[in-house]
Formats: sequence, C-alpha cells, structure tokens
Amino acid sequence: MNWMAKTRPAVTSSAAGVAPSKPGPAAKAAGPSANVRISNGLKEFLWLISDVPRGRVLDLGPVWQSTVNFFVDKGYRVSTEDLLRTWKDFLTAEEENFRAAPVGAQTERISPAALAGKFLETNLQYPERSFHGVLAWDLLDYFDPEVAPRLMERVSQLLHPGGAMLTMFHSRAAERFHRYRVIDSQSVELIASPTLAVHAHVFQNREILGLFADFRSSKTFVGRDQIREALFLK
Amino acid sequence: MWRKPTEGKPSSESYNHPVSSSTPVESPRPASPSYAPPAAPPSRSSIESAPATLGSNSSKISSGLKINGEISGSADLYIDGEVQGKLRLGQARVTVGPNGRVQADIEAREIMVDGTVNGNLKAGERAHFGASSRVNGTVLTPRIGIDDGARLRGKVETVQAAPARETSTSVKQQATEALQSVEASVPGE
Repeated sequence: MNWMAKTRPAVTSSAAGVAPSKPGPAAKAAGPSANVRISNGLKEFLWLISDVPRGRVLDLGPVWQSTVNFFVDKGYRVSTEDLLRTWKDFLTAEEENFRAAPVGAQTERISPAALAGKFLETNLQYPERSFHGVLAWDLLDYFDPEVAPRLMERVSQLLHPGGAMLTMFHSRAAERFHRYRVIDSQSVELIASPTLAVHAHVFQNREILGLFADFRSSKTFVGRDQIREALFLK
Repeated sequence: MWRKPTEGKPSSESYNHPVSSSTPVESPRPASPSYAPPAAPPSRSSIESAPATLGSNSSKISSGLKINGEISGSADLYIDGEVQGKLRLGQARVTVGPNGRVQADIEAREIMVDGTVNGNLKAGERAHFGASSRVNGTVLTPRIGIDDGARLRGKVETVQAAPARETSTSVKQQATEALQSVEASVPGE
C-alpha cells in the first residue's frame, strides 16, 4: 500500500467538525438529534485500506450493527474487541483478587505497566500482522499513560505492513464519555455512554509521535471540537 | 392502482440497520425478544420437553441445568442453563436465553444469543445478538443482527447462506418420483 501513489480523497472543508454541513445520506438518516461528526480521518483510513481485497479490520470499540454492516458490505472481515471495557473488567478482577488474598500473603500492588503486561497475556491475542486496519477511536485518552504504550506496541504487531490505524485525541479532558460508530464513509456518530473510565491523559503531539514510533507515517486532522484525528501508517 | 402499500416500505430512519443485498440485516428486536419462551417450571430431567410456545419440535435446557457433551439433531433448542461441549443442529434454531451460558462451538441454521457464549458460531441463515449477549468467538453467518449493548469479542465474517431446507426436500421428492417411475417401468410379477 502506498500512501502517495493513489488519488487522495478530498478533505471536507468542515475539517472534522461536529454537525457536518453536508452529511451523507446515512448520516442524514441518523436524525437531527444524532451527534454525527464528519471524519476526514475515517475517509482517509478507508482510502488507505481500500486496496486490500477482503481486508481485515479490528475495531477496538464496542460492537455496533452499523459499523459491522459498513465494513462487511464492503467485503471486509471485522473483528471487535471492546478494549476499554475489557481492561476495566480486568482491573476489577485484579482488585477482587487482591482483596480476597489472605492476610500476610505475598500480594503487592503491581505497577500499571506490569498490569498491562498481564492484561496482554490474555487479551489482543491475534497472530501478528492479522489486520489491515485498526480503529482505536479515542480510547488511548482513557488509559494510564504507562499502559497506553504497551497496548500500542501490541496493536502495532497486529497490523500488517502498510496497514492503517485511526485514533483520536482530545485536546482537553473530555466532558462526556462517548462511543463511536461508523455511519458512512465520512461520518461517525458519537454515542453518549455511561462513563466507563475517566479521561486519564491529554496527549501532547510529541507523546503521540512517541506512542506510534513503530509507524512510518502519520497524518493529523484537527476538528473544530478540538479533537485531533490521527492516522498512522505502518 | 399500482401503488405499493406504504407499510411494506422499509423506514428511511433505519440507518444502523441498512438493508443490503450483500448482507441483509434483521430488523431490530424489542428489548424482550419475541423468540424467548415464557418462564417454565423447573424440570427434573436434564433436557425437558419444550413448552408449547417453543413449538412441538423444540427442546429446552432450563436454568439450573448443566450439560456436558455433544448435542446434535434437528430440533430447535432453547438454552437457559449451562452447556459445555459442542452443539450441532444444522437445520434448527439455537437460542441462548438471558441466563444461558454456553461454552461450545455452535452450528445451527439460526443462532440467537441473549446470554453468554464462549465458542465459535456458525449460522446457516442468520445470527442475532441481543442487548444482554456476551459472545467470545468467531461468527460465520450470512446475516447478522446486533442490538446496542451486545458485547462481541471476536471476528464477524459473512458467508453464503446454506441451501434452504425446501431445496433439499424438493430434491428428495424428485428422487422419490424418479424412483417410483423406474419401479413403474419394471414389469410386474
């Protein structure tokens, strides 16, 4: 896959802002109250993986009918792993084990990075180079800064060379916790959800580049809502 | 005069359930699925006869029961208990109720999940995951329905629909007719 070889899709002038001026038909059908966001990052992401017939996409958010349909209709195979929820479940189980341990037992609270290592022993267990695209949404903002690099290291291993990864970063602490689902090739819907985790960290550009050091190219779109969409190419 | 009735027309608001020729998708289900049978009294046997609402050719594994092994056959199955092993019901519907916990690969015509499944699912016609479903495994199906709130950890892959039962029945009927015509052509004793 060559980042430069193809005709690039036109970037929408609303620059990834909320309430697009010209949403697609599916986005219109979402209704006026729907929190639909134009996503140039998604558009570029789709363009990058469009060369791969029957490509494999990993969605690290919760499973949504519309997202699965969107990719399956285009011939992709979709895997979903609600990473943040799995992580929270894992932390809860760890906490319970810690509390249940008998007094005097050799139980010490382990560091977030070590917890991440333990978490990865049972999660994100796919063969290397399994996926041509990964949708990480804004999940990294909700992980401990020590955990995020470990997770990205694993996700990087899962990506096929030439594969793309779409992430989002808030420029300030997010006021509400949202989930994302794909509406059409340029729109995502933000679903306000019960807070699964508090916003943990606002990543600076330097930190973002450090997180994705294994990737060879990046592109960022900044929206009017101060969400930075970052696209990385392995 | 030729105008089509409007009630048959799909709603334009069903953006998250678009109807597509390649991957037709089910219409959304209500919170309490219509396919779930009413609560039945506890059974003494491991697999009890299904309530009448499940259909005469159906069985139910009630809540509180646990089965370990392989289940195969052609009757519809409703699971509200625990099953470990393998489920091979190629021409039937398997429903995992809200209390159902299945640790097995499931192969069936239709797979409806409202409980927990750890295993790979292979549906000949369709799979549906309700809002309370927890699925961990690969899903192979021609059509998939996912309610908001469902949790799926694994791969979704669409496959071609399995040939319908009517087809095999008609082939069987044709074969029987052909056999009868051969028998008819054989001179009688």
